[in-house]
Amino acid sequence: ERTSFPKSVFAAGNARRTAEILKKRSGSGQDQVNTGSQKVRTALIAEIPDRVLSTSEWRDLKSRISRPERFELRMIEGMLSADTDISIAKSLLNYVAAENKTLPYELLLKYLALCVSGGHHSEVSDVYDIMKSCYKTLDTGAYSLFVKGLSQTERWREALIILEDLKKVIAPSSRNYGDAVTGAVLHGDRETAWSLYGELMDQGLTPNQETWRCLFESGVSQRAHTDQLLAILNYMRENQIYPEEKLSRSIKAWFESLPDENWRGTFTSVDPRGVCQSCGTQLESIQLTDDEYVQLKHRVMEDVIEGQDVFNKTTPEELESFKSFVKKRPAFDVIIDGLNVANITPKCVKSETLLAVVSELQGLNILVLGRKHMQHPSRNWNRHDMNQIKQKAHCFFTENISEDDPFLLYAALHSGNHCNFVSRDLMRDHKACLPDSATRRLFFKWQRGHQLVLNNFIPGKKIRFQRTSVYDTVVQNSGRTWHVPYDENGGERSTYEVPQRWLCLCNDV
Amino acid sequence: PQQKPELDLDVWKSVMRSQVSQDDKQKEDREAETGGEEAAGGGSPVERSRTLVDMWRQAGKQVPDDVTEEQLETLAELTTKSSKRKYLRYLAIKEGHKKANREKKEKRKTERSVELVKEETGLEDAEEEGEGEPKLKNTFLMQFWTRSADRLLGWRAAQAMLYGQPLVYDMSYDQHMSRREMENTISQLMETEGWNRRSVDSFHLHFCNLQPDGAYQRELLRRYGQEAWDRLFVTATHQRHVDLFPREDLVYLTADSPNVLRTFDHTKVYIIGAMVDRSIQSGASLANAKRLKLSTARLPLDEYLHWEIGAKNLTLDQMIRILMTVKETGSWEKALEFVPKRKHDGFHHHRS
Repeated sequence: ERTSFPKSVFAAGNARRTAEILKKRSGSGQDQVNTGSQKVRTALIAEIPDRVLSTSEWRDLKSRISRPERFELRMIEGMLSADTDISIAKSLLNYVAAENKTLPYELLLKYLALCVSGGHHSEVSDVYDIMKSCYKTLDTGAYSLFVKGLSQTERWREALIILEDLKKVIAPSSRNYGDAVTGAVLHGDRETAWSLYGELMDQGLTPNQETWRCLFESGVSQRAHTDQLLAILNYMRENQIYPEEKLSRSIKAWFESLPDENWRGTFTSVDPRGVCQSCGTQLESIQLTDDEYVQLKHRVMEDVIEGQDVFNKTTPEELESFKSFVKKRPAFDVIIDGLNVANITPKCVKSETLLAVVSELQGLNILVLGRKHMQHPSRNWNRHDMNQIKQKAHCFFTENISEDDPFLLYAALHSGNHCNFVSRDLMRDHKACLPDSATRRLFFKWQRGHQLVLNNFIPGKKIRFQRTSVYDTVVQNSGRTWHVPYDENGGERSTYEVPQRWLCLCNDV
Repeated sequence: PQQKPELDLDVWKSVMRSQVSQDDKQKEDREAETGGEEAAGGGSPVERSRTLVDMWRQAGKQVPDDVTEEQLETLAELTTKSSKRKYLRYLAIKEGHKKANREKKEKRKTERSVELVKEETGLEDAEEEGEGEPKLKNTFLMQFWTRSADRLLGWRAAQAMLYGQPLVYDMSYDQHMSRREMENTISQLMETEGWNRRSVDSFHLHFCNLQPDGAYQRELLRRYGQEAWDRLFVTATHQRHVDLFPREDLVYLTADSPNVLRTFDHTKVYIIGAMVDRSIQSGASLANAKRLKLSTARLPLDEYLHWEIGAKNLTLDQMIRILMTVKETGSWEKALEFVPKRKHDGFHHHRS
């Protein structure tokens, strides 16, 4: 039964697979991409010496080079991208210091970046002292690097002071906060870590997964901060964030280490009926609650269809006639995006494809949405087919320059929770019209539960829709269990896809 | 040669440190004089922005060398780091252009003065050879000054105001545009007016929906200056185009229109939306035309050109040059020469 359904378009990795198939089909050479920037980089790296040079050797090298402008800076940039040993960089600094009796700020900054990325903590510390004494203020890039670099060392408290300095100029990023949190956790000061984390959240920033990971790791075998860690999981739930595999492992470890409790975590998957393969719990339904449903319907009407200007997508007259059309008919079971469905196979006559799909859904109360031009008989739009469609389904034809998708969404939402719609369109542009991310997530949830996708159509063969999901892919908790969907390592997920792997946590008392 | 790396490699540190100790002495001296101001980073948003710009300049980011107080205020209002960076980059590029132009001017000036000196000495030689009188040239025209050309063009523009075919610019998009977009729009409008003035058979330009205290008016006055603006041969009005012309004569030109403009009609009044759209709100002018129940049309770009990249909406000055040409010659091939070459790969070979 399971294999008869193709995987949903919203399953993680689907977009990438489709792109690969399309690329193969078009036969484009992949190796042609990237060569441009690669060349520049290799040219840069080729110039970099592979050992420590003396001042005179550097001077030699510079005189031999064809473009001596910004020689030192280009050199250290190359070192940064090639991950060169810092002793070579040091020798370069020595050379510049010997030549100019000082070092330019930019060069020091790049050197600092090299030290931080290489994890040379004592060197970062030295550079900090030097730069602090030489310059009254530093730039935001340097501050960020010092926060990152110093938080790894014994001087991590100074990183907090730097963070304060940074605040005077610009709002620190979640990465800045994250680095400071990591520093605090690393040195066992959990209170500071949590207060920094609280500040980060107050700024309305989205924390990095790394930050969460180190907070969960710091909480292992601790009773303290349990509520705050659970709040992180709730934050993920509310914002539909999925942890990466690494973080999900830390979450599992933290749960399993909780004293006096008996949590057991398993990495598992969920079967199509929404039952966890590991513990047998039924996952949350994808159906919206009544409140959510009303809210979404309202927002779609106001923001997607009317928007700032009704005339953008339709006209007031058309909107009125559509509303009364919908009101006069009983609630629909399925709404078909006529033009989208008809265009699935370019080789077939369009009206034939549409008729086949409508016939397949016989017995349901169907609404076919289309544009007026479909009613004019032509090679693609057979009069006979169209008449049959009109007999089997309700039809509404919009003006040729109106958009039909918003009408589809409205009709589907108006008909109620049982109503599905048929379209291959991912509706990303309509989702983007919604004002806030909460409504957008609501829309996406509704879409996953109600969109029937027709993958391909071969005349004469049985029509198969991709399965709609019955359960919601979101971090969820039911007292004794937590279920956390996570992104697999190496699995690339598009924004409109949801993970397929789950972390199941059970508390067997 | 074998050296001890640890000893050798940190020489630069001692160089920098020794420099600091020297600096410190100087600084102490200076601070004793000024009383040691501690304003770094603190203070007003403008001060903070100034520090930010200074620091980014030091770090080799693309920022302008000089920033005005007004620009710092704009910078302080921007909330995100990337918007600050973009704005500073824009200022830096603008400054770069200005500098390059100034240098070019300077260069030309010196060249000219050198030439002048040469000529003068040459002339002296000639005069010495001749009788010492300035040479009389036999010409049948006085020198044709720019002023004379202006008068001619002004005469033509006046005629166009009386008898020319109207062309309407719809100035009702101030809500849709940011400050930058509005500035760009006005630049394009000025260029449009210039091209129109120089054409043999000018349009009678109408700036409709121009609100007296609106952003368009403000920016136009800033760029033209009150005097030039008052003498401009265009009809600027706060009235709507539908109030000035019969509705059935109006055709709204918009790239989103489903209808193609196949032939240029000399009896119609074409409307162009005076808007630069750098954001993603498509269909604004089509919505406007639908609201007023006007007929719409788009240029036959796909019909004549192998379109490659770029949006189908063209700049206002390109639009008027295309319309002027098709009005004069009736040939779309000639008119669409003004579509930027980067956007297409030549004309279709016509079967007609």
